[in-house]
Amino acid sequence: MWDNLSLKQVAKYAQDPYPSIRKWVKEKGIKAVGSTIADVPEEVIYAFGLLPVTILGTNKPLKKAPSRLPDNACSLARSNLELVMSYEGDLFDGFVLPQVCDTTQHLSDIWRIVLPDRYVESYLAPRQVTRPSARYWVREEIERLIASLSRWCGKSITDEDLKKSIRIHNENKALLKDIYKIKRKTPSAITNKELFSLFKLSMQLDKTEFNRSLEKIKKGLKPEKKDGYTDVILVGITCDPPEVYDLFDEINLNVVGDTLVTGTRYLQGVVDENGNPLEALTGRHFKRGFFSPIHDNVYKNFEEIKTLYQKTGAKAIIYVHIEFCESQEYDLPDLKKMIKQEGMPIHVMDTEYQTLSLSHLRTRLQAFFESLKGGSL
Amino acid sequence: MSEKLNSKELSKKITNDYLDEAFNAHEKGKLVGYTTAISPVELFVAHDVIPIYPENHAVANLTAKKGAELCSVTESMGYTSHLCAYARSDLGYRETGMTVTRGIPKPDIFMACNAQCFTLTKWFQVLARRGNLPIFIFDTPEFIMDKKAREEIIKYCVVQLKELIEWLEGITKKKFDYDRLREVMKYSAEASILYKKFLDMAQYKPSPISIFDCLIGMAITVYRRGTPEAIEYYKTLCEEIMENKVNKGIGVLQNEKYRLYWENLPVWFKFSDHAKLLGSYGGVILTSLYVHAWSFEFDLSKDPLVTLAENYVSRFSNSTIEDRANMALDLFKRYDMNGMIMFMNRSCKAVSFAVPSLKDILTKKTGIPALVFESDMGDQRFYSEAQIRTRIEAYFETLDRFQRKTA
Repeated sequence: MWDNLSLKQVAKYAQDPYPSIRKWVKEKGIKAVGSTIADVPEEVIYAFGLLPVTILGTNKPLKKAPSRLPDNACSLARSNLELVMSYEGDLFDGFVLPQVCDTTQHLSDIWRIVLPDRYVESYLAPRQVTRPSARYWVREEIERLIASLSRWCGKSITDEDLKKSIRIHNENKALLKDIYKIKRKTPSAITNKELFSLFKLSMQLDKTEFNRSLEKIKKGLKPEKKDGYTDVILVGITCDPPEVYDLFDEINLNVVGDTLVTGTRYLQGVVDENGNPLEALTGRHFKRGFFSPIHDNVYKNFEEIKTLYQKTGAKAIIYVHIEFCESQEYDLPDLKKMIKQEGMPIHVMDTEYQTLSLSHLRTRLQAFFESLKGGSL
Repeated sequence: MSEKLNSKELSKKITNDYLDEAFNAHEKGKLVGYTTAISPVELFVAHDVIPIYPENHAVANLTAKKGAELCSVTESMGYTSHLCAYARSDLGYRETGMTVTRGIPKPDIFMACNAQCFTLTKWFQVLARRGNLPIFIFDTPEFIMDKKAREEIIKYCVVQLKELIEWLEGITKKKFDYDRLREVMKYSAEASILYKKFLDMAQYKPSPISIFDCLIGMAITVYRRGTPEAIEYYKTLCEEIMENKVNKGIGVLQNEKYRLYWENLPVWFKFSDHAKLLGSYGGVILTSLYVHAWSFEFDLSKDPLVTLAENYVSRFSNSTIEDRANMALDLFKRYDMNGMIMFMNRSCKAVSFAVPSLKDILTKKTGIPALVFESDMGDQRFYSEAQIRTRIEAYFETLDRFQRKTA
């Protein structure tokens, strides 16, 4: 079902993947386990023969979530809650919810309260990553997750199960990396929207199947050189709704690098295939880049962006701000200042999950790039 | 410390002495450590680092209605208006120097504990970045309702406390003194018991104290935990309340009709107005989980790091919504409360995002109607006087009907 998708189908599926997931789990008799971002070790869930699905909001209207989370809550959190309360809750047999900020901490509790008949486990990611205790804690949490899933599923997994799952996930990331590489050099081969739809679906569909689609898509890309593109990098956590990528495509922006959880930060999650899989999964946690809700070296984000900007030769940085994401909002003023001081052009894009009209985003984006070029695009 | 001073005088003296010491810390070879109100400050005290709480300073400015002005300054620096008013007013203070107090000394180091919220961590990151100063995050995962997980969380926290000690030793080039920590823990434990005794005075009928007394009285335990002065203060305070009020049957309101629970932090700039308004309806707010956040129960028979970890990780703000509800229900029972005001505080997402679910559980389990209102603890621009007054008035009408019905 997901092993022979074309690029066109990919964008369509990514827009609303849930009908397809519903059909797939029914046909296969496999349980779906939802997670929110970030850092849940999906390899562990997959090793249990479950389908890990990263929940990334809905474009459908908010109906029930506002009664649980007020309007100044992160729009992704509200959108995710709405998705399970009103639209797709029945699709999931269980959830593994990471706690990475104050909002996600409450979200886990609320989720458990509103869906009392479902398996809901918290994944308590450390909110500091620079000390040895963080490593100790990640290992503990992975082991606790395995024990919890074992109890729920009534089965245990072997190291070999984990290693097999890791291989499939690593293959997925390697394929995405290759496609990204092609796009960097030849932007006309694949649109921004198509590329990031591949990322999104990789986080939501069965990877054994989807990897086959990725292989075919990769082979089918036509890397023809075309001019007129402006290379940019995306900075942030997620970039939604998907129509935002249409805006980038409309004005011929070519995303050549990013720090998104639904982008490069996902690719950074490659797990070492040699040695003890638990140790390898633990080690992977610390290979990923900066993530606003986790305390890290405060200059790391800036250094990563600067390196990415210089390495890719990008012309500008687009910072994608999720409305009401406190973590981003504390970082942004200083980050913006540092980026500007370094002479790197930056455009901040305010996004909200339930936004349907993107005209204001389009106008601001166009104005920014016009001023960057000193004329019209 | 003079025994002749009453609690108010004593509080003033302790505060002045503390700030004098903090402002002159460097002259005495000590460091100033910024820390969060709920953090294992006992380690700072034991290592001669003077703890300073930017939150407390922010409260003073917000109570004096300086919130909107200070927050606006911060917003003009690019920060959004829906961040914590403590953080916004503090950043505004740093930009303008504007304060209703003598201000607070500049920091040398930072320690943030996320048992309270993650916002504090981000705020402290901003401050640390400005001065290029060292920061330690004491990470407390949510104290989820799983026995095995709790044991692991405590172990993780103990490991971190050891890291914190190493970090302090590295900065100060001084060996940490565990005997001194045990002494500090003794002071902290005794002061906490007395603080809880003070809060529990609200069990008397009529209640001799309201939450507004608690909010004033809690200051010493927040910033002087781990010192003998805190013990002296709470002893004096408890004795005064017993002698002057409880023994004489004097309450905050003699015609006490509604004994109310408050959820969340207070609306600092409205707190005396609220007391008067509620009092006019026979209502007195007795308590909240917030003021109980410093009712620690340190077990001195344990390794000090273990009892510190157990206490700090299990604060209400780091507990599950279900556990928070149980903590509140315990207060309802012990204080015999018959009303509840649930404040959705725009500034404090960490506490407020639980409020709708908490309200559902509490109203269901107690059968008592709740008043929910939204505003901000420190930024007057988010306070709608007429709307909130109307809601309070309507709530008392509901409570009246409810009481008649259940009588």
